[in-house]
Amino acid sequence: MSLPAAAARPAWLFAGRRRLDPIRVASLAACALAAAFLAGLVGLLAVQSLPAWRHEGVAGFLAGGRWFFRARTFGALPMIYGTVAVSAVALVLAVPVGLGAALFASEVLPPRARLALKTVIELLAGVPSVVYGLLGVLLLRDWMYRLLSPFDPLSGDTLLTAGVLLAVMILPTVTTFSEDALRGVAGAQRRAARGLGLTRGTTALRVVLPQALPGLAAAALLALGRALGETIAVFLVIGRRDNQLPESWLSAEPLIKTTQAGQTLTTKLGGSETFLAWGDPLHWAAIAGLGLVLLALVGAVTLVGALLVRKGAGHAARS
Amino acid sequence: MAGRRTGRSRAALALAAPLGLVLGLALILAACGAPDGAGTGAAVLRVNGSTTVNPVVSRAAELLRAERGLEITVDTQGGSSGGLAALGEGRVEVAMSSRPVNQHDHDAYPEVDFRPVQIGVDAVALVVSRDVWEGGVHALTRDQMQAIYESRVSNWSELGGPHVPIAFFNKEPGRGTWEVFAKWLYGDPDEAPLVSHLEVGSNEEGRTKVASTPGAVTQLSFAWADGETVFPLAVDSAEGEVVPPTPETVAAGRYPISRQLLVVTDGEPTGTAAELIDYLVGPEGQKLVEEAGYLSLGEADGAMETAGGAVGEEAPAS
Amino acid sequence: MRRGAERIFWGTTALCAVGACAVGAGILIATVVRGADALSWDFLVRASSSAGAEGGIVFQLAGTLILIATALAVAVPVAVGLALAVSVYLGERGAARLRLALYLWNGVPSVLFGLFGLIVLVRWAGWGKSWLAGGLVLGLMILPTLTVSLAERIDAVPRRYVEAARGLGLTRSRVVTSVLLPQSVGGLVSGALLGLARAAGETAPILFTAAVFSGATLPDGVRESPVLALPYHIFVLAQDSLEPGAATRLWAAAFVLIALVFGLGLLSLPLRLRVHEEARDGGGL
Repeated sequence: MSLPAAAARPAWLFAGRRRLDPIRVASLAACALAAAFLAGLVGLLAVQSLPAWRHEGVAGFLAGGRWFFRARTFGALPMIYGTVAVSAVALVLAVPVGLGAALFASEVLPPRARLALKTVIELLAGVPSVVYGLLGVLLLRDWMYRLLSPFDPLSGDTLLTAGVLLAVMILPTVTTFSEDALRGVAGAQRRAARGLGLTRGTTALRVVLPQALPGLAAAALLALGRALGETIAVFLVIGRRDNQLPESWLSAEPLIKTTQAGQTLTTKLGGSETFLAWGDPLHWAAIAGLGLVLLALVGAVTLVGALLVRKGAGHAARS
Repeated sequence: MAGRRTGRSRAALALAAPLGLVLGLALILAACGAPDGAGTGAAVLRVNGSTTVNPVVSRAAELLRAERGLEITVDTQGGSSGGLAALGEGRVEVAMSSRPVNQHDHDAYPEVDFRPVQIGVDAVALVVSRDVWEGGVHALTRDQMQAIYESRVSNWSELGGPHVPIAFFNKEPGRGTWEVFAKWLYGDPDEAPLVSHLEVGSNEEGRTKVASTPGAVTQLSFAWADGETVFPLAVDSAEGEVVPPTPETVAAGRYPISRQLLVVTDGEPTGTAAELIDYLVGPEGQKLVEEAGYLSLGEADGAMETAGGAVGEEAPAS
Repeated sequence: MRRGAERIFWGTTALCAVGACAVGAGILIATVVRGADALSWDFLVRASSSAGAEGGIVFQLAGTLILIATALAVAVPVAVGLALAVSVYLGERGAARLRLALYLWNGVPSVLFGLFGLIVLVRWAGWGKSWLAGGLVLGLMILPTLTVSLAERIDAVPRRYVEAARGLGLTRSRVVTSVLLPQSVGGLVSGALLGLARAAGETAPILFTAAVFSGATLPDGVRESPVLALPYHIFVLAQDSLEPGAATRLWAAAFVLIALVFGLGLLSLPLRLRVHEEARDGGGL
């Protein structure tokens, strides 16, 4: 007899007289509170940012390439580019390494060692972002300046530096969730493959990996969500230079531009303008607009990840 | 089996108990400061603003706490403009500012009666990293500074220095130091061209970034340029007179980019605010001003002219 | 796969695993080595002075503890309610929607929680910078962590316990209070410890709502009573690393923060490992 899956609701939970009992009421009240908060967060940012949307137009705000608060021009595109660029760099660096580590843990290590590794990695996931920022400012910045000298960066504060720092930060997330996804593939599959004479490596690559793909994609998306939302560590090493946009999108320029300083949605929100802007309704609306864009971006990524997790769970249930 | 389960629940509860204890203790700590239960926090004076004025005021707050038990919190979020904005919104009682209160502040907060009090004099300079200084750049003209700000030059070799790219770290536009410099450079901060450079916020950050980046330059208070990690440039006037920012030249009014250091209140200062301000302009406070490297009120007669006639008002364009 | 390729492949993955651990070890070692000079009992119990260049971090530590304790107090009741909703009271569709909402909630950037607190609590409610605003915002942030951890535990309670309870005539809510909750306390505690570990290290939410850099000691009342906090202290000082005295203290403060976070995380391990084992056992019978 197996445990009921979380999604299946057995009848015994619903049987019984329906009456107003305090625990149920309290529980549903908590739900109402949660719903209120979530709606409130979105609604607040939306309403507060209306003047900015009106002033610039939706396209103007999202695709505008200049942000000068003194001239009351608010274009978020350079920051969107910065956010995406930094997170892309982080993913490109972290996913292969994290996947590799997860494969090693899942396919090679005995259960005890796997648990030990998992524990260590999960602990690392807890290191606060401000500590990463500290290491970034005092160590990484100098290394990157020397590394990137062929590209003539003005200083060690670049989008790439932030991306590398973020990669280190999201590595534990990628590793842990990838490992979970890989472990989710039934052991019978592995045994069958080995029984057929496939090597461990072929088993991993041709049998386990493809089946774990939804979960692995979800892991990457979860890590991406974290990268998109990180503020403090990125703030300290990115240079906070506004209006840095590649001029042509179809060349190597977006890539090369990462060797220069930039600005992301989160670093702008965490910076001084948020403290200055309240007195000026339009400026504050623009800041709130940035928050809304960030929320939408992270929400979309997380949503896709959630759907993939479900799909992965469906796979595992069927196999 | 059942015994095993109960054992675990007990273990979990055992862990929950100390957590609850910590929670309770911490909440008691938090609540125990208000014996009257009114919780208005009236005794706490809140100060926010410029990182230039901050060392003096923070130190004064520490000493006043030790000597007279005054509760004063000091923060530097948003710099001078952040401090004045906080004052305007009623979030602090005292703002620290290294620039005069201007029309924008009055427009944004029309009901607020900004009352600045001068506690010292400071000067703003462009400071450079060691490699630039040792590469021969010791002074710049106003034109050259404009060229850097507008990115018309990109390498120190164009300015008589070493062949290193110019890494200009612009102070955030809300900072007092930025405004004072922009005003000297362009006559009015609002006239300063819209540019996008690497940015730094606090004086601390500016100094650290310049000290650790080759070819770097930023606007900084002259007192913060220690001559070991970052080096202040002299101003080369069009007539060939080169004036370095030193306490003597600033006091004599020969160095052109000087400014008043202000603490600002909404209306006449009362209570703890008045105590703090009296302390700052008094002999002990002025000693702190000098220790921080700025000019005290007594030393700065000449500079007062350059920095502005009436206290806290816009200085005449120089 | 040929033997050579096989070796290279697994060698690379082993390298990745070692690398992932090495980074963590590197971080720890770096903080310890650089902060060792300043680390002492004295450091923990003295107040800071001269903008962090002298003294200790007692009020930063106290402030962080107050903030996370408040977050806990705020999050636990709501988390229990939400977990019960997801596992017991809501229908299948409702529970699925709530799970999705929790997943999304968990992904919301911390800076947005800070903005929310800034607008609603600091400005609209007129609290100014307040430890309660910071704690509330942190509590909101860690709510999904507690909820999911508890809900998983509730789901893992063996069916026969519930059947036995209902067989004895207990109502649904009695089943909850007498069977489900006591059996899943471990999930609440481990989720709480994980959440607190995260809350202790966050800077962005408290940057806007509760933290100042100097002058605060213990808060006084609710309105206009900010606190000092370790992460904010480190954040401000990270931008000024030239003062030698401040530099060692900075690393020491970072070490204390890491120790706090790791300590909380480590405490939660035994409980989470039990869930692992139980899931493997299949709950017996």
